[in-house]
Amino acid sequence: MVMSQAQINGRWRGFWPGWSHLPRDSRDVLFLLAVIGWTLAPHFVHLPLWCPLLTALVIAWRARLAITNAALPGRWPLLGLLALAMGLTWWSHRTLLGKDAGITMLVVLMVLKTLELRARRDAMVVFFLGFFIVLTNFLYSQTLAVAAAMLISVWGLLTALVLAHMPVGRPPLAQAGSVAARAALLGAPIMLVLFMLFPRMAPLWAVPQDTQAKTGLSGSLRMGGIAELAIDESIAFRVRFEGGARPPAAALYWRGPVLARFDGQEWTRLEPNDASAPRRGAQLRIGGAPLGYAMTLEPSRLPVLPLLEATPNTEADGPRIDGPRAFLRSDLQWATERPITERLRLTARAYLDHRHGPQDDELSLRDYVDLPAGFNPRTLAWAQALRNDPRYAEASPERLVDAVLEIIRRGFTYTLTPGTYGDDNENRYAIDEFWLDRKQGFCEHFSTAFVVVMRALDIPARVVTGYQGADPDLQDGDHIVRNSHAHAWTEVWLAGRGWVRIDPTAAVAPERVSVSRNLRPPPGVVAGAINAVNPALMAQLRASWELVNNRWNQWVLNYSRAEQFDLLKKLGVNAPGWEDLAYLLIGLLSGASLLGAAWAWWDRHRRDPWLRLRMRLTKRLAGLGVVAADHEPPRALAGRVRAQLGARGEALALQLEALDGLRYGRAAVPRPDPAWWQAFAAATASLARSR
Amino acid sequence: MIAATLGGPRRRLRAWWLSRHTRTDTWTLTQRNIYIVPTRAGFVFAAVLLVMLLASINYQLSLGYVLTFLLAGAGFVSMHLTHNTLRGLTLHLKTPQPAFAGQSLPLEIVLTSPARLQHGVGIGFQGDTEAGQAPASDVFVDVPAGGQATAHLAFVPPKRGLHDVPALRAETSYPFGLFRAWTVWRPAARVLAWPAPERPLAPLPAAPAGAGESAQRRASDSGEFEGVRAYRRGDALKQVVWKKAARTGELVSRDTSSAPQQELWLDWQSTQLSGTEARLSRLAAWVLAAEAAGVSHGLRLPGVEIAPGSGAAQQRRSLDALGQWS
Repeated sequence: MVMSQAQINGRWRGFWPGWSHLPRDSRDVLFLLAVIGWTLAPHFVHLPLWCPLLTALVIAWRARLAITNAALPGRWPLLGLLALAMGLTWWSHRTLLGKDAGITMLVVLMVLKTLELRARRDAMVVFFLGFFIVLTNFLYSQTLAVAAAMLISVWGLLTALVLAHMPVGRPPLAQAGSVAARAALLGAPIMLVLFMLFPRMAPLWAVPQDTQAKTGLSGSLRMGGIAELAIDESIAFRVRFEGGARPPAAALYWRGPVLARFDGQEWTRLEPNDASAPRRGAQLRIGGAPLGYAMTLEPSRLPVLPLLEATPNTEADGPRIDGPRAFLRSDLQWATERPITERLRLTARAYLDHRHGPQDDELSLRDYVDLPAGFNPRTLAWAQALRNDPRYAEASPERLVDAVLEIIRRGFTYTLTPGTYGDDNENRYAIDEFWLDRKQGFCEHFSTAFVVVMRALDIPARVVTGYQGADPDLQDGDHIVRNSHAHAWTEVWLAGRGWVRIDPTAAVAPERVSVSRNLRPPPGVVAGAINAVNPALMAQLRASWELVNNRWNQWVLNYSRAEQFDLLKKLGVNAPGWEDLAYLLIGLLSGASLLGAAWAWWDRHRRDPWLRLRMRLTKRLAGLGVVAADHEPPRALAGRVRAQLGARGEALALQLEALDGLRYGRAAVPRPDPAWWQAFAAATASLARSR
Repeated sequence: MIAATLGGPRRRLRAWWLSRHTRTDTWTLTQRNIYIVPTRAGFVFAAVLLVMLLASINYQLSLGYVLTFLLAGAGFVSMHLTHNTLRGLTLHLKTPQPAFAGQSLPLEIVLTSPARLQHGVGIGFQGDTEAGQAPASDVFVDVPAGGQATAHLAFVPPKRGLHDVPALRAETSYPFGLFRAWTVWRPAARVLAWPAPERPLAPLPAAPAGAGESAQRRASDSGEFEGVRAYRRGDALKQVVWKKAARTGELVSRDTSSAPQQELWLDWQSTQLSGTEARLSRLAAWVLAAEAAGVSHGLRLPGVEIAPGSGAAQQRRSLDALGQWS
C-alpha cells in the first residue's frame, strides 16, 4: 500500500497535534518528562541495563498518555511494575539497600511516580525526588560538565514547579522559566554565603566507600577489570622540598597501601597473623642525608598518607601534622587513624637511601609467597619451566629477578588501553592471559603479574601502590603530584638486603618513571583531528581547559575548611575556628533579614505615584483655603481655584488643567513629571506669600 | 460532645480574630494585612534539603553543598515572591444585587495590580477551609500589570433578610508552593436576600369586582387592546410596540398606565397562613406572579404599604420590602 504524503501527515497529526495545539496539562507533563529524562540520563551509564530500558519505556508510555489525553493506569498495574522493578533491583544488586541499589530504586520510583501524577501533591513528590536525583549524580562525578547539566535540570524542575502553581490559562514556558531563573538568581547570594561559610565537617558517620575505576589510591587492586583507565588530573598533593632541592623524578616514590594478600581476583592489605610483626616495626635502616619536605594533601577520603620513601617514624623525621594522628605500619606505610576529609599540611624528612624489613629469612615471609590454588596455572607452569631451565638451576634470586625483568623489557608493551583481562571464569586466567598471550598493560598489570611470577619462583614479593614522580614544572615553587601519577610497583625480599623495590613498569616504559610522564591516554578522534590540523590551537585549547578545570577543582570541589579559615584570616580573624564561621554566617544572614525587614517597612509607604502627588497637591490647596473633595479631578479643582481666588489664581488653575492633561489627556504620561510639581509648588508658594 | 467543647472556644477565638478586621469594600494589601506561613510542601522541602545536606556532608560532595544551598536560596526568595504576589493588590467588591434566599447570589470582586503581573491569586470564602472544604472552591485569577481582573464568587444566603457578606480570603502559593500567603477581608457591603418564593404557587387573591369589566370595556371602546403613546425613558423593553416602531421608525410604548386596570392588593391578611416566613414566601411568589401577568399590584404588610403599580421597579420595591420586613 502506498501512502500519500498527505495521508502520512494526517496520521502523524492524529498522533501529534503540534506543540501549540496541545492542551496545557499535556504540554506541562511533556515538559516535566523531558526534564526528568535529562536528569536521569547521567545515571544510565552505571545502572544495570534493565533500568534505563524500563525508564525509557515508562517515559514514552506516559508521553503517549499525555498526548492522547488518555486516562492514567490504575493502582494495580503500577504496583505490579514496582514489584517487578524491586525484583530486578534485587537480582542486579543482591540487596535493596546501599548506594547503587538505592539509586536504582530512586530512579525507578521517580519514573513510576510520573504515571501517578494526579493531584498537586504527586507533582511535589516528583519535584523533591528530582532534586534528590540531581544530588545522587554528584556521587559519581562532579566535573564541570555534570555541574552544567544538573544546573539545567534544577532550572527545569523549578520551571515545572512554577507551572504547577500557575492555575490560570496557558502561561508560556518561557515565562515560567524566567520566574524560576529569577528566583534562583536572587537566591544566588544566599547560596554563595552559605557555601563559603557553612562550616565543613568530617562525615557524621561512616559511609561505604566505593572503589572507583580511576587513577588514585583505593586501598585495593583488581587486575584486568579496567579496559581503559580514566585519567583523573586533579591534584593529589603538593610538595616543597627544603632548600629548593629537586631530586630526580625517578627517585620519587610516594608510598601508599602495600598489597600482599591475593585471593585470585583482588589484591588487598595483608594483616600479619604473626603478632610480633607490629612490635618489630618496619625495621628501617637509613643512610645518607635527610631530605626535608612540606606536603599539602588534598582530601582523599582514605586513611593513607602517601609520604616519600622512606620517612622514618622518629621524633626528628616523622611527619608533623595538625590533624589526625599518623602512624607507621610494619610495611613502611604511613596511615592516619581516620580518613582524610579535608586538606592537610605536614612536614617530614625522608631518606632516599634506605633498607627495610627482616635481613634474615623468617617464617613471616612465607605469607609473601602464597598463591591461591587453581588460578593462572599456565603462569605457574611457565615459572616452573624457568626454574627447571639448566641456565637458572643454581641462580640466586637476584639473577632470577633480572631474568624476568629482561623478559618484560623485550616482549611487553606499555599501554593505557589494554582492554579487559579475564572476563570469563571469574578472573581465573587473567594473569595467564597477560603474561603469556597479550602482553600489554599498564603499571597494575606489570606489578601484579611480576609478583605472581616471583611468588611462583618462591621469592617473597608484594605489590606497593602509591604515587610516582611529580609534574615536571613547578607551580609557585611546589611540585604537583596528581592522581594520574598513581602507580603500582613491587618489592621482593632478598636475603641480607631485606625488601628491595623493583619497578617492572620501569623495565618496559622507562620514560614513565625517569621523566615522570604521568599516565595520559591517547587523544580521542576529535582531539586527534584538531591536533593534526593545528597543534598550537590544540595546545592552547588544552591549556585553557586545564586552567578552567583547575579553577573549578580549586574553588568548588576542593573548597574545604582550610580555605574557609584562610578567608577568615583575610577578614582579620587571628585564630579562626568553626565558631567564627558560624558567627559570621549567622551575622550575615541576620543582617540580610534586617535589610529585608527595613525594605518592607519602607515599602509599606509606597503608593501609586499619582495618588501621592494628589495628596501633596490637596494639602497645598487646603493651605490656600481651597478644599478638594476626593472625587474631583484636577480640572474641577481648577474651577474651584478660579471661583475662590479669582484672577489671582488663574496661573494656578492653568497649572491644574495642565495636570489634568498629563493624567487623562491625549498626551497622558505614565508617571507624574517632577517638573510639573516644582512649577506648581512655586505657584502656590507665591500665592501664599501674596495673601 | 468533645467537638462541641473544643469547637466552642475555637470558634469564639476565630470570631474574635475576624472581628478585629475592619469592614471595608476596598481592601488594599500591604505588609500589615498579609499572613504567610510555609505549606506542608514547604516543610517537606525543608526536610529534603536537610537530607541533602547530610548526604553532602557524609559523602563530602562540594556540588552537593552547592545544590542544597542553591535550593535553599531559591526557596527563601520564593517566600518573598509569594508575599509580593499579594502585596500591592487592591480588592474591591462591587455592590452586590439582591437575590432570593437559597439561590446563589453573585459577588463580583475586582482585583487591581498597580505595578506587576500577578499570577495565581485565589479568592474564596474564609469559612471554606474551616468547614473542611478544599480550597479548590477558590477562584483563581491572574491580575495583569497595571490592570484589573474580576473574580466571581457565588454566595447562597440561607434565609431572607440583610446579610453581611461573609469574610473573604485572597491567597496564593505562587511561585513554588512552599509558602502560602493570604489575607482576610471583611467587605462592608451587605446583601439583601428576598424571601424564597413559595412553590407551588398558591392562587392569586381574588381581584375586586369590576376589574375584568374595565378591561373588556377598554378593548371594545378603542378597538385595540391597549393604548399606545410615545416612548418615554424608563419604559420596559417589552412595553415597546416593536411592529409599529419598525413601520414608523419611532419608538412607541403600550400605554398601560392610561387605563387603570385591575388593582390587586397583595395583603398580609389574605395569605391565610400562620407563619411569618411562610406568609412572606407566599407574598413573594404572588408579586412575581402578578408581575408576570402584567397586573398592577400593591403590597400591604403590617406597618408597610406600597401603592399599586407594575414594572421592574415596583417588583423590586415590593420584594425589597418583603426581604427587609421585620
